[in-house]
Parts: sequence; C-alpha cells; structure tokens
Amino acid sequence: MSQTRIIPYLFIAPAVILFLVFTAYPIFSSLLLSFQTFEAGEYSFTGFDNYVTLFHDEIFHKALMNTFIIFIVQVPIMLILALVLSSVLNSGLLRLKGFFRVSFFLPTVTSLVAYSILFSIMLQEEGIINTVIGFLGIEAIPWLSDSFWAKASIILAMTWRWTGYNMVIFLAALQNISNDMYEAASLDGAGKIRQFFSITIPQLKPVILFAGTLSTIGTLQLFDEPFNLTKGGPADSTMTLGLYIYQNGFEFFQFGYASAIAYIVVVLVGILTFIQFKVAGDR
Amino acid sequence: MKKVKVMSLISIVLIISMLAACSGGSSEKTSKDDKKLTAWAWNINVPVLEAAAERFKKENPGFELEVIEIGREDVYSKLTTGLQAGGQGLPDIVLVEDDRIQGYAESYPKAFLDLSKYGFDEHKDKFPASKTDLLTVNNKVVGFPFDGGPTGVFYRSDIFEEAGVKAEDIQTWDQFVEAGKAIKEKTGKPMLGLDLNNDDGLYRMMMNQQGSLYFDEKDELTLSSQESMNAAKVIKQLKDEGLVKNTVGWDAWISAMVSGEVATAPSGAWLTGSITGQGKDTSGKWGVIPFPAFEEGGNRASNLGGSNYVIMNSTDKKQEAYDFLEFFSTDEETQLEAMKGGLFPTLNTIYDEPIFTEKQEFFSGQPIWSTFTAQMDSIPSVNYTGNYSLAMDESIKAQSESVSGKKTMKEAYKAAEKRLENRIK
Repeated sequence: MSQTRIIPYLFIAPAVILFLVFTAYPIFSSLLLSFQTFEAGEYSFTGFDNYVTLFHDEIFHKALMNTFIIFIVQVPIMLILALVLSSVLNSGLLRLKGFFRVSFFLPTVTSLVAYSILFSIMLQEEGIINTVIGFLGIEAIPWLSDSFWAKASIILAMTWRWTGYNMVIFLAALQNISNDMYEAASLDGAGKIRQFFSITIPQLKPVILFAGTLSTIGTLQLFDEPFNLTKGGPADSTMTLGLYIYQNGFEFFQFGYASAIAYIVVVLVGILTFIQFKVAGDR
Repeated sequence: MKKVKVMSLISIVLIISMLAACSGGSSEKTSKDDKKLTAWAWNINVPVLEAAAERFKKENPGFELEVIEIGREDVYSKLTTGLQAGGQGLPDIVLVEDDRIQGYAESYPKAFLDLSKYGFDEHKDKFPASKTDLLTVNNKVVGFPFDGGPTGVFYRSDIFEEAGVKAEDIQTWDQFVEAGKAIKEKTGKPMLGLDLNNDDGLYRMMMNQQGSLYFDEKDELTLSSQESMNAAKVIKQLKDEGLVKNTVGWDAWISAMVSGEVATAPSGAWLTGSITGQGKDTSGKWGVIPFPAFEEGGNRASNLGGSNYVIMNSTDKKQEAYDFLEFFSTDEETQLEAMKGGLFPTLNTIYDEPIFTEKQEFFSGQPIWSTFTAQMDSIPSVNYTGNYSLAMDESIKAQSESVSGKKTMKEAYKAAEKRLENRIK
C-alpha cells in the first residue's frame, strides 16, 4: 500500500527537483545575497545596508522614475494600438488578413539584440529616420543624444516590437466573442464604433488585464533596449531598473546590491499588479 | 507490484543521474586531460594563440591548448560569473584588457595567479613600465603584458591637403582646435567623431597623457582636478566650435572615418588594423601624428586600450600555464604575428625589427610604427583602481552634461566627483 502512495511523488519528482534547484534556490540565495556586501573577494552580512544605500541612491531613483515614465507612456500606447489593430484585422472588411497578421507579428520573433542594433543605426543623427523626416521639412532630431528623445526612442522601439505580440493575444480573444452579440447590437442600431466600446472592450477585459500585467512586468524588467540603444545615457536619462541591476552586478561586482534592487522590483511588480486587478478586475 | 518497483527504480536512477550531471560537469572537464590547457580569447587573438601553441608544442611534446573564442564582453560576463561561483567553470588562461584588470584583481584578490612567484620578474624589463605597473596589484604580478595602445591622431591626409592644413604642425591641443576650425571652414567637415554620451575615450587618453586617470597614484579622485579641466575644456571647445560629429557606437565612428566624413580620429595604435581592414580603398590617404600636448613641449605620449593574459588561480596546471604564457609573451615571432593582425606588441625586444621602420603605403609612406614605439617609454603609468568602471560611468555623465550645456564644465565634473565619492564609499 505504502509503495503505491509514493508513486505520484516519484512522477512529479523531476519537475519538483528542477523547480527547487533552478527556481527556489536562486530566489532564496539572491534574497540572502541582498543582505550581503562584497569586499575584496569576500561576502559579509551587513543587514539592511544595501536597502538603506538604495534609499539614498540618486541613480536608483532616476532609474525608478525613468521606468515609471516609460511604463505610463508606453504600455497604454501599445495596448490601444494592439487593440485597434486586432479589431481591424478581425473584421470582415479586410483582404490579405494573413499577410497583415504575419507582418505585425514579425517584430516579436526577431532577435532583441539584432533589432536594437538596427534601431540604433536608423536613429543616428544622419540615419534613415532623420533623412526621411528631413524630406518633410522637419529638423533632424537628436534621437539618442538628448534625454527626452532618448526616452522617446526607447518607447518607439518597444512599441514596434511588442505591439504585434499583444495584438495576437487580443485576436485570439476576439475570435471567442460570439457573432450573435454583434448581430443583436446592429439590429438594435449600434454602429461599429459603439459596438467596439460596448461589446468588444467589455468582452476583452480579462485579456486586456492579462496583457497589461505582462507588459507591466516586461517594462519593470526592461533591459535590452536601453542596453543596446543608449547604454542608459545620456546622463542616466534612459537608465532602467533592469539595466542598473546588470551594471551593479557585472560591471561594478556588487551582486548584493544588485539583488537588493531586484527584490525592490519584485515588490513593485506585486503592488502594480495588485492595483491593476483591483481597478480592472470584477472578481 | 513488480511493475511499480521497476518504475520507481527507473525514476530514481533518472533523478540521480540528472543531479550528477548538474553538479559535476565543468570542473571535471578541465582537470581530466593532464596537459591540455584551455584559454578564453576573442577575435584576432585566437589564431595568434593557436599558432604560438603549435610552436610551443615542438619543444614540449604532449602540450595541448584549446582556445575557446568568446566575444570580448562575454568573456567578462563569464569570468565574473565564474569568480562569483568561487572559480568554477573557468579556463586556465583568460585575456583581460588593461582597463578591466585592476578591477578584477582588486575585487577578487585570489582570482589571478601571482606570476612573480613563478619567476616573471626576470622578464620585467622587456616591457614598458606603464604596463608592468598596471599589472602589479598589491605587490603581486597578476598578468602577462600582451598588446598596448600607444596613442596617436589618425588623420585623413586628403582632407588636410584640401584645407591646406599641415598635420605635422599641430603641436598642442589649441593648435588642434585651430586646425579643426580651418578644416571646417574650407571643407565643411567636422574634425572628429565622438560619442559624447556613451564614451569618454578621448578624455581618458588626455588624462593618461597628463599622468593620471580617474584616480591619482594615491587613489584620490581627479575628476575635478586641473588635468581633468584641461581635458574637458578641449572637448567642450571642439563641441562648441561645431568640430564634433556625434557618432553613436563603434560602427558609426569607424565608418565616419573611412568614408571621409571626419578629418581625424585620436585613438590607440590598434586602430590601424580596423582602418586598413575597413577602408581598403582609402590607401594612401592617411597619416598619424603623436597626440598634441597641453602646452608647448609637454608630454605627447598616452595610452588607450591594450590587453594582458592572466592565469586563473583555480587551475591545477599553474606551472604548465605559466610555461606556455612565458613563451608566448617573450616569443618574437608570436608578437610579430599579432602585429600583422593590428595589435601593437609591448615586448620591447622586437622594436628593432625592420617592420618598425618600414614605410607604410597605406599611410602615405609614413613609417607609422616608429611613431608609436617612440612613445613607449614616455607613457605615464596610471592607477586604474578597482573602481574604474564606476568612475567611468560618472565621467561620461559629466562629459555629457558639460558639452550639452546643462551644467557648466566645472559644475558637471564637481557633481560627478561628489556622486562618485558616495558610490565608492
């Protein structure tokens, strides 16, 4: 009897062991690490020192602020764009649907580094983007060397890459909305726009929430774009939490401090997600 | 019930073998092959190492070297990770650049083998003092000097000619700025490309030229020192006069050079390899002058870049690794080969080789290598310290704020120095 009771545990053992080794252990050990500082090759416990330093760290504040600005501006733009695109691509009016779907989704499957490098070439002061807007009579924009435009470049790049991803999530959800509702609505005299706001958006609410949560986490961990496009510059104006964690660990060898920042990010993701669920969720 | 037993046995075996695979791996691989060494290096260094290993093998049968090619940045990521893990998964030999080595040696005092215990001191006078000073950290010699980066101003002789400016007449930075203005006026082309928001290479060269870097020899901060102001002032002047083309990243910088959009590139000798490689059809349109001085008759030698080979303390083949690298670092044939790849050797016993006085067709017949070797003994030794990366981060910010006019030059560097002070506490 006792033997049969063991069996299920044996079956889940590989997954549990992998989880313990590769997820639980790093989480726990980085928590420990966040209470230690590294000096001349040795770690020593220094209590909350890292967190206290963090509290006074100007660059951390700046990174927090930048991440927040990018979050507030980029996530809504991207989600609205994705919503509009998916609705258009889902409507019966459009030809070549498959082609458009693939085109919009394509950026998502390109390599992060490759696309960042491409963007950095296009955004050079005499790059293709400035050349094109030059034809329109607009003065060259210092995309990567001005603190405002550098943030704009990051937002531009992120939107280019992730809109298609969210669009596909929305498309899948749209196909689950029964046509009956639209038919009933049009019989009642509701136009396309009214239908969009009164049927599509309410029906998509849980999915929008899901996409919003994913984007929140993604933004708080933002790393590749600033790392490849601006290196956090000019003067930290595109420094993000993810980039600052990396710099502290791999450039300044302060893994303890980096872990402390990472834990702050975890707490922030928790809080923001909680707020989103409170604001948007019904249950 | 038998089936159950068999199944559970299989699962247990699977789990155990999986765990074994996780833990044992890397260290086993490096220690088993008795004489085989592994090295991490990048680019042109790989074939140079391999060729040297072949020659070394002739005298030392059974010697085996596996060179693993890893990108420059990735070498550091992997090295840092390995050192954090207490020396696990590291090779025997690693290539580390000048600006990184003191950071590693100070943050991880046990990381690199102390070469003086193995007899490195007998070779000390074969290398310039700037290099051996760099590699002596806490009285230990932490690496073998390899290539160096004596500096010079690479210039497009065609653009200079068009503007009627003589490069050889540029003796000081003031004259450099004046020449820039003349060229801009006559040809419309900026004097040089700089990535003012992401890199402070020119500033570092100017600091090194004046005998310090972010720290002086007593570890005191120098960001607001007179030397620093001298350097920052020239950079700001260049920018304010419209003589700088903002080039973001290496590719933009180098292509601005070879396509003739800018007139000069102050840099390390190793730039030779890149411009001859990427600008093949510009042969004969180049020249090199030593760095301008800050005042007439001042020092014109400086350094940017260069690299060194270290032996990891975690290896159990210390003697073998030392023997090979001793051969590698002092073997003239090896160093000449590295030179063909565009690296500038720091082994001074080869400076009398004919190549150093040969006229270079690419550089309008100028024997450029003698321009570089001439400075080798005058390059001031500088103190990088373990906080170099942090300091560079702040220095770049100061430069960015200073040239953009957000703060005055003095304010920007004062503020950066203050921030740096807090960060290294």
